[in-house]
Amino acid sequence: MKSLQIAWKDTLTRFRDWKALVGLLGAPLIISTLIGLAFGNIGGLGGTEAPISNIEMILVNQDAGDLGANYEEVLTSEGLQDLLNVRQMNDLEAARAEIEAGNARGVLFIPAGFSDALIPEEGSTGEEAMSGSVELYLDPAANISPFIIQSIVEQITAGANTILLAAGVTADQIVEQAELLGPAMENLAPVLTAELQPENFDFSSQKLTLNKIEVGEARESFSPFAFFIPGMAVFFLMFSMFDGSRSILLEESRGTLPRLMTTPTPIWQIILGKMGGTFMTGLLQFTILVIASTLIFGISWGSSIPGLITVVVLTVFAASGLGALLTVFARNETQASIVGSAVSLVFGALGGSFFPAENFSGVINVISKFTLNRWAMQGLTTLTIRQGGFNDILLEAGILGAIGLVTFSLALWAFQRRFVK
Amino acid sequence: MTDTILHAENLHKSFDEINAVNGVSFEIQRGEILSLLGPNGAGKTTTISMLSGLLKPTQGQAYIDGHSVLSDAEAVKQTIGVVPQEIALYPTLSARENLAFWGKMYGLRGSYLQERIAAVLEVAGLAERADAKVETYSGGMKRRINIAVGLLHQPKVLYMDEPTVGIDPQSRRRILDTVMELNQSGLTVLYTTHYMEEAEELSNRIGIIDHGQLIALGSQSELTKTVGEFDIVRIGLEPDGLDYAALSAALQKIAGVNQALIEDDELILQAQEANAVLSKIVSTIDKANGRIRSIKIEEPNLEAVFLHLTGRALRD
Ligand SMILES: Nc1ncnc2c1ncn2[C@@H]1O[C@H](COP(=O)(O)OP(=O)(O)O)[C@@H](O)[C@H]1O
Ligand SMILES: [Mg+2]
Repeated sequence: MKSLQIAWKDTLTRFRDWKALVGLLGAPLIISTLIGLAFGNIGGLGGTEAPISNIEMILVNQDAGDLGANYEEVLTSEGLQDLLNVRQMNDLEAARAEIEAGNARGVLFIPAGFSDALIPEEGSTGEEAMSGSVELYLDPAANISPFIIQSIVEQITAGANTILLAAGVTADQIVEQAELLGPAMENLAPVLTAELQPENFDFSSQKLTLNKIEVGEARESFSPFAFFIPGMAVFFLMFSMFDGSRSILLEESRGTLPRLMTTPTPIWQIILGKMGGTFMTGLLQFTILVIASTLIFGISWGSSIPGLITVVVLTVFAASGLGALLTVFARNETQASIVGSAVSLVFGALGGSFFPAENFSGVINVISKFTLNRWAMQGLTTLTIRQGGFNDILLEAGILGAIGLVTFSLALWAFQRRFVK
Repeated sequence: MTDTILHAENLHKSFDEINAVNGVSFEIQRGEILSLLGPNGAGKTTTISMLSGLLKPTQGQAYIDGHSVLSDAEAVKQTIGVVPQEIALYPTLSARENLAFWGKMYGLRGSYLQERIAAVLEVAGLAERADAKVETYSGGMKRRINIAVGLLHQPKVLYMDEPTVGIDPQSRRRILDTVMELNQSGLTVLYTTHYMEEAEELSNRIGIIDHGQLIALGSQSELTKTVGEFDIVRIGLEPDGLDYAALSAALQKIAGVNQALIEDDELILQAQEANAVLSKIVSTIDKANGRIRSIKIEEPNLEAVFLHLTGRALRD
């Protein structure tokens, strides 16, 4: 099939051109390194540059004692102000409903009598078994914020736990020790990187029993790269898909497209070949980014290879279709280039290539769902962060596939109309 | 009937307001070289594009080796080789890679493709440089590969659209020789140019095209006969602020001078008998304070034919 030969010619040409390679592979790797490093260094989170911020969280504190107050104090502390938006509610059911409604990413429930159950009364022997638990409810639809909430709550819990385990602890000491949590917050970056093992984890309701959590427990690290690499990969994919589509116009002005049309090759095969070449380029670009990021940054692209292949192939398909469709209606290469860059940037920002889209508020959140980046990112982070399987990405796969099918076929048709004179 | 391989019937093509081709009809015989000679914008490329199945005629029809460009474009494209006016190659691929790609577009493959690549590289004289990227080639070398691509699938008719534009004299010479060799081995050629000398040297017959119309068609001697006994006199002038309009009006008043026009400080006259009127011409120029740099008298040629038919010089 001649389409394949055209596609292959385009792909080879691009990957042999080192300048093109910088855009295809160099830029995404370098930029995600820079952002990832910046993110890793946010330290006390006082920095306003924290790329993740304003995570909606609800605290339902029915405990009258010091421990509950301790959680509250830390969660609303200045250090976490940028990161969390903590609201207080009294009714657990109502708070959980907020998660379902998409207005909150997590609810921390501290039951009544929590402190009393854990802190030995003055004069008691300290021999009776003491236990208590807080409950953390997390949004199963979001990928990143719940992990951050969980990390913070675990950190507080772990801090309190340490104190409780120390001999002869009094309530006063716990409150005093709360200051120790200050430095703990300094270490939030490692906390954020605490990879949370999914198998231990029920996303809708996680009970944290204090005595079960130990400080210093060995954890795999949750790398910020698991968000930024997919983000940059999708972002730069859009650019290369627009670039690739534009090569059809370039071939027209250089005369190679008219020449192709004088060969006994049907026009639809020529256009399909050109669009297929863009698709192939994107596929190769993405695959290399996956392999390179695994080797360089050690990020895990999840445990589901079929899931990863599905999301990547459909993301590239949708992006190449969209790139072609916007190019076919551009008057010339310059216009196509401007439109392509603008759409790539706007879609990148709106679709969550830089900031997790799940934290966008109301209208923006809705608009963001009209970008393919949003669905690509959702699918990819489901794999990289939540370690989801094939069944967890079906919705995203369906939407990306539909975008691809519609844009690709429309572009194929419109290009033929454009070039047959 | 003779052995007609290409038959164009009343071809028209308009782009919005412009009538690029306005009723062009001609035939090419098997084994012939036919040139379309005309200035830029005359409609040569548009005509070739319609004959290649690249542009749909707004009106008219054409057959190549019995296949209609309208209803059987696929077979037409298999029959013809096209050498476009631009260098339509992939600059970052080598000549060999370009040829392999284009060969595949003509459906060639395997050892036959390799054979053909070797053969056309030989024709282009570029076998040694075949693995260098085309972007590193000189203009003349690019032109030669551009031609080689059109020969890969051994077409019956080769269209060459101004294949010598913008190259050095040696490269041009080489290309003209190649065209004649190819023709000798049986290839029919449709050649377009705005260089009179090329048309004169190469062609069995020449069509003069202007403003989308074929205004004359025939062998060189047939065409020059139409201007009768006129000679062309070319006089180079020193460019020192002469009133060219007045001078050309004065010259046209001389009996025996048919046309007089001045372009780029060159005076081009059509004269019944150049030798007889030359002294009058010189004295008229002298009177107008013009200084003569050169004088050249030419036998009737295609330039004269074009001048005769259009009142304009055949120039860019
Ligand atoms: N695609 C096009 N759209 C509009 N006008 C065109 C197009 N192609 C050619 N023309 C016009 O048609 C006329 C003939 O052009 P062309 O066939 O390229 O002439 P030539 O090859 O003899 O220089 C010119 O006036 C040119 O501007
Ligand atoms: Mg032309």
